[in-house]
Amino acid sequence: MTEITSPSLLETPLAPPPRSYWSLAIGKMLRPWLVKLCVLYIGLVLLISVMVPLIASGKPYEIQIHTSHGWVTRFPLLVDLTTRDYLTFLAAAMLIGIILAWRLTRHMEMQRRRQLRMTIAGVLIGAAAVGGAAVGILHHNRFDGTDYRSLLKSGAARGAVFAPIRWGYAEMEPLSKNAINELPSWHHWLGTDRSGRDVLSRMLWASRVAMGIGFVSQAIALTLGILVGALMGYFGSVFDLLGMRLVEMVEAIPTFFLILTFIAIFGRSILMIMIILGVTGWTGYARFLRAEFLRIRQLDYIVAARAGGLPLWRILFRHMLPNGLTPVLVSASFGLAGAVTIESSLSYLGIGVRPPTPSWGGMLNAAGNPATVFHWFEALPPGFALFLIVLAFNIVGEALRDAIDPKTLS
Amino acid sequence: MLSYIIRRILLMFPTLIGMTFIIFAVIRMAPGLTTAGAHFAPGMLGAHQSQLAEEHFMERRLHLVNRHGQPIPLAIQYVQWINRMIHGNLGTSIKFSEPVTKLVLQRLPVTLVINVISLIIIYLVAVPGGMLAAVYHGRLVDRAFGIGSLVLYSLPVIWVGSMAIGFLANPDYLNWFPSAGLHATNTSHMSYLQYVLDYAWHITLPVLVLSYGGFAYLAKQVRGSYLENLFMDFTRTARAKGLPPSAVLLRHVTQNSMLPMITIIGMTVPGLLGGSVIVEQIFSIQGMGRLMYQATYARDLPVIQSMALVSAAITLICYLLVDIAYHAVDPRVTYD
Repeated sequence: MTEITSPSLLETPLAPPPRSYWSLAIGKMLRPWLVKLCVLYIGLVLLISVMVPLIASGKPYEIQIHTSHGWVTRFPLLVDLTTRDYLTFLAAAMLIGIILAWRLTRHMEMQRRRQLRMTIAGVLIGAAAVGGAAVGILHHNRFDGTDYRSLLKSGAARGAVFAPIRWGYAEMEPLSKNAINELPSWHHWLGTDRSGRDVLSRMLWASRVAMGIGFVSQAIALTLGILVGALMGYFGSVFDLLGMRLVEMVEAIPTFFLILTFIAIFGRSILMIMIILGVTGWTGYARFLRAEFLRIRQLDYIVAARAGGLPLWRILFRHMLPNGLTPVLVSASFGLAGAVTIESSLSYLGIGVRPPTPSWGGMLNAAGNPATVFHWFEALPPGFALFLIVLAFNIVGEALRDAIDPKTLS
Repeated sequence: MLSYIIRRILLMFPTLIGMTFIIFAVIRMAPGLTTAGAHFAPGMLGAHQSQLAEEHFMERRLHLVNRHGQPIPLAIQYVQWINRMIHGNLGTSIKFSEPVTKLVLQRLPVTLVINVISLIIIYLVAVPGGMLAAVYHGRLVDRAFGIGSLVLYSLPVIWVGSMAIGFLANPDYLNWFPSAGLHATNTSHMSYLQYVLDYAWHITLPVLVLSYGGFAYLAKQVRGSYLENLFMDFTRTARAKGLPPSAVLLRHVTQNSMLPMITIIGMTVPGLLGGSVIVEQIFSIQGMGRLMYQATYARDLPVIQSMALVSAAITLICYLLVDIAYHAVDPRVTYD
């Protein structure tokens, strides 16, 4: 252990706890209001992408149905959610809990802070595991094809509480109504598409595809990039030479061509697209981390750690990584923007996510052939959503880059 | 200079060979191309498949199993594949029923011309723009420029492309530009000038859509490198000895800010090539990007592997040219 176990010897009791490089950089990044707004917006889209089964669905939360036993209360929406939906909610709740705990314990004294954080994280992870197991055992979702709207109309049901947006992403208006390519109305807030599906509902569901593919693919890319970059930067010599050649080779094939090659060969399920974007996008991260590690490994504290006989993984991941990760974080923000763009472009071209799963790119494509019949009111929302989220990622990336600029870090 | 170029070209080969390894490995992982998949007998594919697809499979079988029906080792397959490549035989396209070499030679010039024009326009717009922003740094021009370039950079190509066609090339709205293709149908009756004008009219929208993202990126880099040099000692000296500001800017600062601009050509080209897949598809231009898209859609593996190789080769050649230009502009740069 290189941490000083008794901080009170070195610090006056009133001194604020030391702030890490990260927290300095992130604090500085968040100073301008525009960047704050962007971070909030990204958080909102993430939240929507997690909660969308509860926000946009054709099934009511609660409804009373007339059966032979009289009026029976049912919860169609909650029954209709898949196990995966419930697990996603759990994971998101756990993450939010951990982030909150970290923020609340920020100003505590180091020793206590660490203990408290570990306890909270343990409790949260345990609770999530128990909850996940319970959902897995208890929840069985069945296909439910009931049309609750017509039940309500015929009087066979009453007291329905619907989700804020009353349409599922694949739910069509009956063909008899001829409600395709409708302009926005009270009934469909953003109109309907060429199959009579609600555009707003599809927009929200598409955020799930975009954010899911964006974050998972970049997590894969980050893992690969950090592993390769750390090995290259720390060991140098042969590792460095071979690794950099590999990076050069992968980079020499234009990314979009490489992705198309992979898609032609391995198919295009959502999971596959995540993996493909991850496998083709790690080179930038590896380059950045390598450069940082080449610099850091000669610093005194690493020499000291090595002289102290710490195990290799501890030097690499506890001592070097936290100090070398910030530039990688910057490029991760741009990487996210890129991944979201590429996903939507693939779906636009018809080689991305398969319909009826909505994606912003696919919805743009469904707005009609632009040269003949162009429904601009269908092309506007997905394009704008895409633009906003990419802009938000780019602004955050720029702000992070400025924040870690050593000339201005304070 | 010559020895530098020769050394640089020699250094290109390991990368090129490594890349063929990667592409070979990826393509070999495709289902249906292993030796098991090569046991197609004639007629097994069904009547709806073209004769050529069958021939293709027989050809594959020839390359994957020897005449005793035993699989040929991967290493030998690789060498044979490279050998065919070197002799200009890229295989036969399944979708188009034509030699891939012929397809590539047809489509490559289209894409290259559009990309080169885009590159020129990017530089013509971005360099003065970035220079202006650097000179007026911190002022309103600079702020507007920064926000504008970030917004441009974030605009998705697919949205801008379909909106551009939808509003500027649609009889329902403004019918200013053609929505598809590169030429009018009656090119044979045109004079040379008319032909050029018609071509320019057709490529206006595609080139704009392909290049607007590049403006923002390059202009930001130009601004950065100008800013750096504006505060250097040599700039102060030039000012102090009484040179007019324009001369300081255009001679002293610009010459020293050229290097990053050259590097960026190398970094822009792969992006432009990738972007041309989308742009050519939106504007129905029969170029390399569209070929790649069509091949992906049809799982036309011979075309896909050749496309990956050709695009990688173009990128490498670009890197090479950039390095040579770098060396020519700044003789201090060596490859040691």
